[in-house]
Amino acid sequence: MDSHVEEGCSSETLTFMELAIEQAKDALNSLEVPVGCVIAEDGKVIASGRNRTTETRNATRHAEMEAIDALLEQWQKSGLSVSEVAEKFSACSLYVTCEPCIMCAAALSILGIKEVYYGCANDKFGGCGSILSLHSSSSKLPDSGNIAQRKDFKCTGGIMALEAVSLLRRFYEQGNPNAPKPHRPLVQQATDN
Amino acid sequence: MKKDTTDMWKIIHIPDKLPIPPNQQPTVNVLASVIDPKHANTLIRRLNQIAPLKNVCHVKRIQKKHLEGGKTQLSVILCLASEDNSLLNSLPQDVQELSDSYQLSPFVTKVCKYAATSKEEWEEQCKLWPTSYHPPTYNIDGITGFSEEDSLSILSFMKVAIELAKSGDGLIVNAAVIVDPSVQQIITNGCDQIFSWHAPMNTTCIRNDCIEQSTHLDSHQSNGVASTVTEVLPNASPSEPESLSCAVSCLNPWKWSEQQSDTANSYYWHPLRHAAIVAIESSADRDRRLFPDLGDAEEKSFETSQSSHVVAMVKRQKTSVANAEKKEADPPDMPSNSVPERPYLCTGCDIYLVWEPCIMCAMALVHQRIRRIFYAFPNPNNGALGSLHRLQGEKSLNHHYAVFRICVPEEALDIAGNRKSC
Repeated sequence: MDSHVEEGCSSETLTFMELAIEQAKDALNSLEVPVGCVIAEDGKVIASGRNRTTETRNATRHAEMEAIDALLEQWQKSGLSVSEVAEKFSACSLYVTCEPCIMCAAALSILGIKEVYYGCANDKFGGCGSILSLHSSSSKLPDSGNIAQRKDFKCTGGIMALEAVSLLRRFYEQGNPNAPKPHRPLVQQATDN
Repeated sequence: MKKDTTDMWKIIHIPDKLPIPPNQQPTVNVLASVIDPKHANTLIRRLNQIAPLKNVCHVKRIQKKHLEGGKTQLSVILCLASEDNSLLNSLPQDVQELSDSYQLSPFVTKVCKYAATSKEEWEEQCKLWPTSYHPPTYNIDGITGFSEEDSLSILSFMKVAIELAKSGDGLIVNAAVIVDPSVQQIITNGCDQIFSWHAPMNTTCIRNDCIEQSTHLDSHQSNGVASTVTEVLPNASPSEPESLSCAVSCLNPWKWSEQQSDTANSYYWHPLRHAAIVAIESSADRDRRLFPDLGDAEEKSFETSQSSHVVAMVKRQKTSVANAEKKEADPPDMPSNSVPERPYLCTGCDIYLVWEPCIMCAMALVHQRIRRIFYAFPNPNNGALGSLHRLQGEKSLNHHYAVFRICVPEEALDIAGNRKSC
């Protein structure tokens, strides 16, 4: 499927993005930064995820990471080999409400995902063009013989961006009750060495 | 720790910008003139009004040269020169009038375009024209140097990381050690777990002690083997020169897909479980274990700006933490908060990595609010902290850590000579 999605998105794209928005709403209801995603293969959604950084206290638990982990677990439980998993990723499309951050864009490249559709741009952290362009390696590719080839993925932004932004805006406007409040633990409780 | 070995371990700050040689700093042209010293004050006052040195505030208006015979000569900058070097006709009218009335003889000269970021740069700048230099007032310790005591503790933490990195069966992986420097204690650690991973979600029993961690039994898997995270790497052939670096995830994150699958399927694998990611997860687990009553969200958005402000606040809080059993100052819109001091992610913590992280790991460490990163070996093809990228210099990010490289002697990894030198 190599149809270019520019002006009018295909109805499939919109359908998947709507599902990603649903995930983002779920995050918002849990007081998480509202970003959600789905991963599709052969026109079917095979995984979904939403931001879970607050709940896990792990700031790397972005929607993409949640969906990726679900897939890896699912595929390994069904006994797929490394190469089969790699091949599967190369047939997957990610639909995410906000441009993947630098970390997630790098992860998607490492996995060799086929393509990414995103909603709003991520002006501060975006890894698919806003700050860095990790989806396309042409800019910075050190020439080294025995390095496995890094993988590019196709990236299309601006899909249902207004919906994605309005969720984020609602999150910040509801007066983030979780304003930065840096605490230091009494670490002695935890360490015994 | 033996003194003679640690003397060889140098700690180098990896700056936010690609360093340029001090004598190759960009310059701009200005129009200047020698003046009579008795007019100096008047001229400078007037020039600052009619031709302020916009965008080059670090450049001093006046230059004093010592001539032979004990005499001095004063020159002042009249104004910035126009791009095309077309001398005198580019003087603004009021500067021209001033120049005429004091019978000045303007000439074009060069000054450094940007303020110096180091003493070396500043000294070089002053050879062209004097500038002012304000050493950076960072909130992060170490950028301007470490005390002997700090250095020793930094080196000892790096040694823990290196031991972890070689705790596998002759294979070296990347290892991460997260430290709370305020109490000099290891909070948690992690190794690359691309090809051996405890069952998903089974992360509750991670211990603080690194030795324990590295020999940590896999309680969830049925294989019953002491599954150190480093022991399984399919197809590792020690005879190949690159076999050592192969096992370090960040050196080539794309390598995972080339591994032959172990059909026995006795372990989980995960292409993204690099050492830093594993350590972050482990520190989050620890956080939830120590502060189980968090209940509602405390974490703020990933877009909230904080950075150095928080570091300063944390420092202040450290001093008062002993008598502050309970914070009385909950934000007004926050319901009662019964939880005492608890960490916000890894704010205030340092991480020690044996290899410079890839961009995924480096950004993960931004998200988790790590304060300082120490790494031993650069990652020339994929390193994100000075080699391929320089993430610490991305201004748009909401958090910035300081990055240091510890130059470690060759023998530190002491697995034969097939590792490339650092």
